[in-house]
Amino acid sequence: MNQHHLPIDSSLLAENQARVTRRQLFGRGASGIGVAALASLFESECKADASSSNGKGNPGLPELPHFPAKAKRVVVLWQGGGPSHVDLFDEKPVMQSMAMKEIPDSIRGTTRLSTMTSGNGKWPCVPAIKPFQSYGQSDMRLSSMLPKIGGIADEMTLIRSLYTEAVNHAPGVTYFLTGSQVPGRPSMGAWLNYGLGSETDELPTFVVMTSSDKGKTCGQLFFDYYWGSGFLPSRFQGVRFRNTGDPVPYLATPNGMSREMRRAMLDDIAALNTEHLADYGDPEIETRIAQYEMAFRMQTSVPDLMDFSKETTSTIERYGPDALVKGTFANNCLVARRLLERGVRFVQLMHAGWDQHNNLYTQLEQQCLDTDAPAAALVQDLKERGLLEDTLVIWAAEFGRTPFGQGNPDKPNGRDHFGKAFSWWMAGGGVKKGFTYGSTDDYAWNITENPVHVHDMQATILHLCGIDHTRLTYRFQGRQFRLTDIHGEVAHAIINA
Amino acid sequence: MRTRATLSMRRYISWLVGTAATILWGGALINSAYPTEQPSPTKIDFNRDIRPILSENCFYCHGQDGNKREGGIRLDQRDDAIASRAILPENPSESGLLQRIQSNDPDLLMPPPDSNRRLSDEQKKLLRAWIAEGASYSDHWAFTKPTRPPEPSVRHAAWIKNPIDAFLLHRMEREGLAPAPEADRSTLIKRLYSDLIGLPPSPEEVKAFVDNEDPLAYEKLVDHLMQSEHYGERMALPWLDAARYADSNGFQQDGDTWQWMWRDWVVKALNQNLPFDQFSIWQLAGDLLPEATLEQKIASGFNRNHLLNGEGGAIAEEQRFVILFDRMDTTSTVFLGLTMACAQCHDHKYDPITQKDYYQLMDAFNRVPETGTPQFFSKRIRVGRPFIEVPSEEVESHLAKLDSQITDLDSKLRPLLEAAFHGWKAGALSDPRPAESKVLPEPVLKLLTKDSSQRSDEDNKSLDTELRKHFDSKVKDLLADKLPFLTELNKLRKERADYVADQMPRPMIMSDEQPRETHILVRGEYLKPGEKVTFNTPSFLPSLPEDAPKNRLGFARWLFSEEQPLTARVQVNRMWQHFFGVGLVKTSEDFGVQSEYPLHLDLLDWLAVEFRESGWDMKRLNRLIVTSAAYRQSSRFSPVLLSYDPENRYYSRANRFRMPSMVLRDWALASSGLLDRRIGGRPVYPYQPDGIWESLAITKERDFTYPTSNGSDLVRRSLYTFWRRTVGPANMFDASNRQTCKVRVTSTSTPLHALTTLNDPTWVEASRALATWCMKQSPDRLQQLRLAFSRILCREPSQAEMGRLDQAFTKQQAFFANPDADAKAFLKVGATPVDEQLNANDLASLTVVCLTLFNLDEALTRE
Repeated sequence: MNQHHLPIDSSLLAENQARVTRRQLFGRGASGIGVAALASLFESECKADASSSNGKGNPGLPELPHFPAKAKRVVVLWQGGGPSHVDLFDEKPVMQSMAMKEIPDSIRGTTRLSTMTSGNGKWPCVPAIKPFQSYGQSDMRLSSMLPKIGGIADEMTLIRSLYTEAVNHAPGVTYFLTGSQVPGRPSMGAWLNYGLGSETDELPTFVVMTSSDKGKTCGQLFFDYYWGSGFLPSRFQGVRFRNTGDPVPYLATPNGMSREMRRAMLDDIAALNTEHLADYGDPEIETRIAQYEMAFRMQTSVPDLMDFSKETTSTIERYGPDALVKGTFANNCLVARRLLERGVRFVQLMHAGWDQHNNLYTQLEQQCLDTDAPAAALVQDLKERGLLEDTLVIWAAEFGRTPFGQGNPDKPNGRDHFGKAFSWWMAGGGVKKGFTYGSTDDYAWNITENPVHVHDMQATILHLCGIDHTRLTYRFQGRQFRLTDIHGEVAHAIINA
Repeated sequence: MRTRATLSMRRYISWLVGTAATILWGGALINSAYPTEQPSPTKIDFNRDIRPILSENCFYCHGQDGNKREGGIRLDQRDDAIASRAILPENPSESGLLQRIQSNDPDLLMPPPDSNRRLSDEQKKLLRAWIAEGASYSDHWAFTKPTRPPEPSVRHAAWIKNPIDAFLLHRMEREGLAPAPEADRSTLIKRLYSDLIGLPPSPEEVKAFVDNEDPLAYEKLVDHLMQSEHYGERMALPWLDAARYADSNGFQQDGDTWQWMWRDWVVKALNQNLPFDQFSIWQLAGDLLPEATLEQKIASGFNRNHLLNGEGGAIAEEQRFVILFDRMDTTSTVFLGLTMACAQCHDHKYDPITQKDYYQLMDAFNRVPETGTPQFFSKRIRVGRPFIEVPSEEVESHLAKLDSQITDLDSKLRPLLEAAFHGWKAGALSDPRPAESKVLPEPVLKLLTKDSSQRSDEDNKSLDTELRKHFDSKVKDLLADKLPFLTELNKLRKERADYVADQMPRPMIMSDEQPRETHILVRGEYLKPGEKVTFNTPSFLPSLPEDAPKNRLGFARWLFSEEQPLTARVQVNRMWQHFFGVGLVKTSEDFGVQSEYPLHLDLLDWLAVEFRESGWDMKRLNRLIVTSAAYRQSSRFSPVLLSYDPENRYYSRANRFRMPSMVLRDWALASSGLLDRRIGGRPVYPYQPDGIWESLAITKERDFTYPTSNGSDLVRRSLYTFWRRTVGPANMFDASNRQTCKVRVTSTSTPLHALTTLNDPTWVEASRALATWCMKQSPDRLQQLRLAFSRILCREPSQAEMGRLDQAFTKQQAFFANPDADAKAFLKVGATPVDEQLNANDLASLTVVCLTLFNLDEALTRE
């Protein structure tokens, strides 16, 4: 075509001539540099873009870890809605004696509350609705509604002094999981995926599963930016395993098509792509071939992951009656253990159900029933398999709940959101065992000792993974961004020396 | 710096070529016809060589943010740097800066060891040389007005088709590179269709172009495509990402909106080639234009495409500020290429944007009569004021129908009602102790305390009015079973109200009807207002003309003033990015001092001036780009170039990149013949795996069942797919999340993408439709395969490829004969009915081959 279309300066054709020989250069049977050799030649240049969620293809950043990691894997058990620290983790005898009396102004101060209660004229103190008790050799004081979690108290660090500025769910969750209350930043799992890379060729590096309370009383949505990659390349975002249909969208081969047919099809795709690679020499084509192979492997590895037939009855029972019911927190905990065993680096279980504005006396205990056994079973299972040592389990939430009651001031039946002080627990992955950190005043309202801010917690989690949170950065919009923004102090006191 | 690094790379290559590779290609890759220039020591350029070092390593503590400045040392201003003796021109050894960066004492060393920043030896040498040369500063390139650089001279002028090529070839020649040959015509037509309309050419169109001997065939093809109404659809895609356009609000209730009317306006404006200044002014301030038209108001919806949080307990004023900040972010990124967000809390660390600049500009956006949260209209629809009502013909005719029914019933009911009223009134007035009956309202009772004889006419009149009011609101409905038509009328009225709430299009627009005081917010916190400010443009940029309105309109026009350095550059850079995959400034969202110094600044400036002087003619600039020789090059890699210039920053070939996922879906639908090409309208709901929306709906507040479309709505172009902000369409991978502004594309390759194009019913059904069409075209197997190939890949298959496809078909045919495969089940994927006339096994096998073709790298890539 060129002959009649465009007279080219003949001297330019020298370059073209070099291109004519590309087949020999790139082609497989060539005597010169083959595809593999070229790939290694260009590796350093192309690596960042050619990686995949695949052990070899996603090696992470070369400078990581910054120091030896105590945790190789992380599982976040997100307790969405805001579980009541007053009822579950932070025992306050004074509140019992002050029941239904006004919480003193000196305690309340100028705390910013949600608009659901900020206009209230009364702030009746509502003590824990059920008694606390001692658990384990560490004598950890937890609610009697959490007997199974109590059973692993000696593995846990309980933190009673978390705080956040967020007053509402979505900003609060976004804050903890991405470092900013406004959506748009990479989530913690995406950061770890980007920084540390993958340990498996068979499954995504970062997996998310969701569940909610059975009555859907909670009203929380799970937004994809809770596991998004923000400005990091999208391959670092979490892959959500769904509760209905295929765990991964489009995982199943179309109806009527057998696995052999798919294999044959992929062979044809690979052969034609290899021809094309020989013609064009673009390393991206190689990446694509590899990604199609990984897709094929996932079509087996994911169903295998979900096949519980080899789990013993006693294991399954440990996760409680819902262990085999898809879409429950219990089932997700069991899948989480299987993911962690298979080398998935970051598992994020998002559970909704703790938003007890007006059903404290009925729903709180129900939530405990649904989540207590599965969370404890996951920790126990990991321990028995020798995985707890380097797997960090985090029981987390966006905030706690008000020490005063919400609803009719004479007969409150709920608690509002409360970010000034609340509690989390962690286990494994280098945190202290049977340890309690931080404390609050007599009303579980103000932190009196060892406050841990959102960014401090993020810094601590990264630290446990061998990462200096100030050095895991990504340049975007002309500046270096990081998970902890410009804040964050590692809570060294909770880390096992 | 760049030059030096490049030179060392060149030495490395020549070593490589000299040792291993010469035997293979005779060292001809860097063309011997181009004697490479000897590296001559180029004069140090502050913007290119020095500023990036200072900005990255020093400005954080020694830049323009006065609150954070350490030791009173300021390095971003020459006078300050000299005054503090950090820099002594021509005297590097005495300069504090040099002493500190070379110090062995960790307490003195700069940057401090704990800052995680470190200067390389080469950078230190460069700083020394720069100070020795006199330490001259220059303003950041992007903040000075572009002037049209002269076209450089080149040795191989025959290659040049327009000035773009002169700039690029000049640079290539300096680097000892040669451009790639022109791509073959089938590649070119595929490239143009993909970039300009996002749909494949038919095999006939390909053949006509390939065989066309007209020397202007290419240019004519470009013009033809730019006239297509699909041009606007394709060009709109990046703009929708930038404008964080979605069809719902996000957050808990995630109410649907009517912003698709804004999307339709964008497509139309692009098709009509509305000049970019108008295109922008309408979107930023269309509502403020004199006698603003409906279109101009709808266009202003650009800044209403934000998230809207209506969660229970959300503090409205806090949310209003979240929206304001987002508006500032989006506007400054899209039009100025600046990330102003930093200045929300403090003076910008790198760019000369002060916190005051930020809030002065924000004042223009702080006049919208909005609350910060959306308003409930129906279970589905939630939009926030201000909005306008834009009834479609359908809505109007439906309302007219309801209204005429209402009028009809009303006229029948009225006499009956009148009679009922009088009867009731007589009864009420005859009650001897009206106060005790406790049913009549206070004003009536008051009047009734007077004896009827003492009541004035006025009293009687107001008594009648009050009674009538009471009757209408409280009594009437109690008589429903005695009054025919009443129940029916009430039902109709409710139906009308419900219909209006749910179906009356209410696109959100901008308005300045609620001016507020704007304050600098201490640390960006809305509860901590500081100094009061009024609207102004950032002080480091050209000032606002005296007579300009002090509002958004003034701001929008200011963006297009003669002196403005950023707007044109930022936009032409995005246009370049559209056609080359990467911008001339790679950081298309950031033109500030932390941005990459553009390798082709002269070309960028030439394009910017050309664009402005052409009257901001977008089609003209796009045409200029795609008719350049640079654009028409082959995208084949040569091994040495891949190593020498892996990112192709010298443009000595065309770039290959995966087509955006929206285009991939359109491509599959179009090449199979399924695509419904209607333009615009309400969003549609094509195939989506079960449970994508439903599983997110952990609320009973609305029904989140995905309302899968029927018929041709299943196969509309992807930009019409309903975009739920909390969860985007499952098969639109690598897409912007439409939550915040995004102006740079990402194109990644993951197994999940592969699963999508392999298994999504969209692609499986498209494959069957294409297979069906091919079988109807010809009974000949090879001809069917050839047709399928050329419809997807837009070229004729080679002999070898035909052989592979034939084998693939035969293999699949054998598989379908096995019991573990099921041709009939396979063919049932998708809503289109199966053509029962065709042999099921053959159709299924050909379908698999088509699916194979859709998944080839070549099919997924714009080459």
